[in-house]
Amino acid sequence: MSALPVSSHIPDPDLITYYAEKQDSFFSGVSPWTKLASLAVLIVGITLLRDPLALLGLYLVVLSLFILAKLPVEKLLRWYLFPLLFVVSLVGILAWTQPGNPVLDFSVAGIPVTLTDTGVLLVVTLAAKTLISITFSLFFLMTTRYEYLSGMISRIFPAPIDQIFLMAYRFFFLTFAMVGSILKAVRSRGGGLVRGMRTEGVLFAEIIGLVFIRSFDRAERVEKAMRARGYRGSYSNTTEIPSPGIGGYGVLALCILVIIASSLVFPSGGW
Amino acid sequence: MTITRRELHGPTPCPVVDPEREIIHVDCASHSYPDGSIGIHDMCFHVLKNEIVAICGPNGSGKSTLIEHLNGLLTPSQGKILVQRRLLSGIESSNLWRVVGVVFQQSDDQLFAPTVLDDVMFGLLNLGLNRKEAKERAMHALEAVGGAHLARKIPNYLSGGEKRLVAIAGILAMRPKVIALDEPTSDLDPVHTGRIERLIIGLKEEFGIGVVVATHDLDFAARIADRICLVKNGSVFAEGPPAEVFYDPDLIREAGLEIPSGIRLYLDFCTAMGVVPGKRPVRREELVAALREVPEKE
Repeated sequence: MSALPVSSHIPDPDLITYYAEKQDSFFSGVSPWTKLASLAVLIVGITLLRDPLALLGLYLVVLSLFILAKLPVEKLLRWYLFPLLFVVSLVGILAWTQPGNPVLDFSVAGIPVTLTDTGVLLVVTLAAKTLISITFSLFFLMTTRYEYLSGMISRIFPAPIDQIFLMAYRFFFLTFAMVGSILKAVRSRGGGLVRGMRTEGVLFAEIIGLVFIRSFDRAERVEKAMRARGYRGSYSNTTEIPSPGIGGYGVLALCILVIIASSLVFPSGGW
Repeated sequence: MTITRRELHGPTPCPVVDPEREIIHVDCASHSYPDGSIGIHDMCFHVLKNEIVAICGPNGSGKSTLIEHLNGLLTPSQGKILVQRRLLSGIESSNLWRVVGVVFQQSDDQLFAPTVLDDVMFGLLNLGLNRKEAKERAMHALEAVGGAHLARKIPNYLSGGEKRLVAIAGILAMRPKVIALDEPTSDLDPVHTGRIERLIIGLKEEFGIGVVVATHDLDFAARIADRICLVKNGSVFAEGPPAEVFYDPDLIREAGLEIPSGIRLYLDFCTAMGVVPGKRPVRREELVAALREVPEKE
């Protein structure tokens, strides 16, 4: 378990796993393959769709699924921060260079700066697409047991890529816990207060360095323990994953139809 | 049986003690790490069937290195390892894991699979069992350690004691001839320590497995071991039954260890009562019986 959460704006892997293992919503019983395929269809859909209203509608649908699955919406809203910052950093400057009807108009040191409706739509559209994909991804992770995820990884990816993913997924938890423990140790002795960029930079570098060293050390010990039980480079996952069934295929077909219909019905305007 | 001492310098013989029961014989094995530090040096050690042998020594004495040699994770640069009186070739020694299972000190290093059941099945699948057989054997092993209810849990979220039980199940399922445990009760609370102790004794009594326990906790060794091997500087320099070894304070001091607290209490009590200890109790019930027999001071 994490010693301390690193930040309330970063998805907590322990919380995600808690909900995934809790299995108390209808969606927990849906085949993981159905949910994964739906995620793929969704990604294709938001790539094709450009109309802001259609994207808003899709976002509301995905958010509804999240709520119906009894997942923590308050946490979700906090977890939106960094993805939104990413979108703003990506297109924030670009938005001010788009042609269209001016929305905001001023000058900086004599240089005219104009934000147009196209620029606003650019940011809004990309933000909506980001939030849709993140919300549904979290919905998928928080309603699918870890053992099913690992089973799916081993079936989708060829060896040794599947093993890299499997080990990376497991050790992501451990590394997070390690960072949390180190931060706890730092804060317990008055560290963590921002004293200056250089001080914080040095502290940050030391923590990252320590995490790397400990991770390597741990990886060696784990490899040794695996070899002690006959591991010779091949690990096959044996988990049985519930297959979609007729209902699952039906849902998938419906999603595909909706995406196709939406991209035909809604104009390719927006951004 | 008395204490057998072995000189740490110069060539000394490493005889086979009990050919009928001997499973593993480490014959004058030495191993150094790449940085030059000595892991084991001229190590002479054996494991018998139906026996719990405790390797006792301070940190850095070579206990863990010896255990890794028993499993084939390390090979000696000098000396040899015999399994049931047969010298293993280079390829065969890489299959020592089939004969000797190792439970590592840090359970988190050992449990890597998505679920407990997957982890216990891991070694069985490497042995060549099909999925159905592996699952059955894995569940039997989990039931034997009292962990069947943990089968679908994620190892990351188990308590320390539960992780240790699952790690033991993962080895027990493979049905090795020897199980080596490295500091099996470190970081455990007294309840789980007791559970692990009963389990280790059960491995010997119910399954007939030879058990090797590496520990610096002589109280723990006193409670379970049939034979004590004292390790220093990478070599076993003395071995014998607990009643002989633990009642030799010079030997214990030479090993850099402390006499078990129960035995120290008994000796101090006899001194306080002005009597010479007439017996050499080791286990709790023996200590209680011996203390009751100590005459009152007149």
